[in-house]
Amino acid sequence: MSKLHPWLIVLIRFLLGIIFIYASYDKILDPGKFARDIANYHIIPMGFENLIALIIPWLELFIGIGLIAGLMVDGASIISGGLMALFILLIFQATIRGFNIECGCGLKEGEMVGWNKILENLVFLGASYLVWQREQKFFEFFPKTRLSD
Amino acid sequence: MSLKKQVTFFITVSILVGFISNLVRSDAISWIAEPIKVVNNVNDVSLTLLEPEIREIDLEMAKSLHKTGLLFVDARSEEYLSDGIIPGAVANDDVGLLSEQIEFLIGYEKGFVIYCSDDDCGSSEELAYELQDFGFMNIFVFKGGWKSWTDAGMEIEIHE
Repeated sequence: MSKLHPWLIVLIRFLLGIIFIYASYDKILDPGKFARDIANYHIIPMGFENLIALIIPWLELFIGIGLIAGLMVDGASIISGGLMALFILLIFQATIRGFNIECGCGLKEGEMVGWNKILENLVFLGASYLVWQREQKFFEFFPKTRLSD
Repeated sequence: MSLKKQVTFFITVSILVGFISNLVRSDAISWIAEPIKVVNNVNDVSLTLLEPEIREIDLEMAKSLHKTGLLFVDARSEEYLSDGIIPGAVANDDVGLLSEQIEFLIGYEKGFVIYCSDDDCGSSEELAYELQDFGFMNIFVFKGGWKSWTDAGMEIEIHE
């Protein structure tokens, strides 16, 4: 369990939530571009990048809202961690293979894959873990009890 | 509400909203991505197109098209251009200015070739779609780009 002060966890939740909502915005507006960014990783088979590009941005938006509004924070934080682990793997394989491609992360136009993006996502993965491992439910509205209670 | 239910809820709602939004939006994408058409015949390049198209070419086609004087556009960031460019190619990080430059040189109907650093860079394809949105009809993406051009010992142009 995380020993951090509950309000610090709330702050981390807010920051993580804002990052997810912000990252989802351009991808929701232009799923075609996001699909091409995914395709550039050369890892998704059979043209499935379009389906992924239609779902992931909304998932980011909804977990961002959940983290900020205190709704299903356990689910939101575990998905947040899962997404971050997935992004780290994708960027890592692209970096190792020497791809000079845009990461498609949605935070800044034209950001390329590389070790700095891996580090950035590791920080977000750590933040997701801290939220998942929080001791107390502060500023959370649904569900009211911890899963382990 | 169990963790499994929470995760299922987020994923289900995202799938539903994602699919429904794609059904109602005017710029919907296909459910499954289709690969870009490959052009192997120089004669296909000068065909008048009724619909805007982005097509792919390889090194041999790029060499042939360069000889015919077709415009080349370098999609790499400015920091990479000091290594050189394909002779006669134009480049600009500002896509608006780049589109004005291309329109001034060849207009919207005539074809041109876009390339980036190598097989996997992706920025040539990205720029192709952006320029297509500006109204350019006939765009070729040179797969292999700068790397295959220089590996083949082709002429380059260096600007100080």
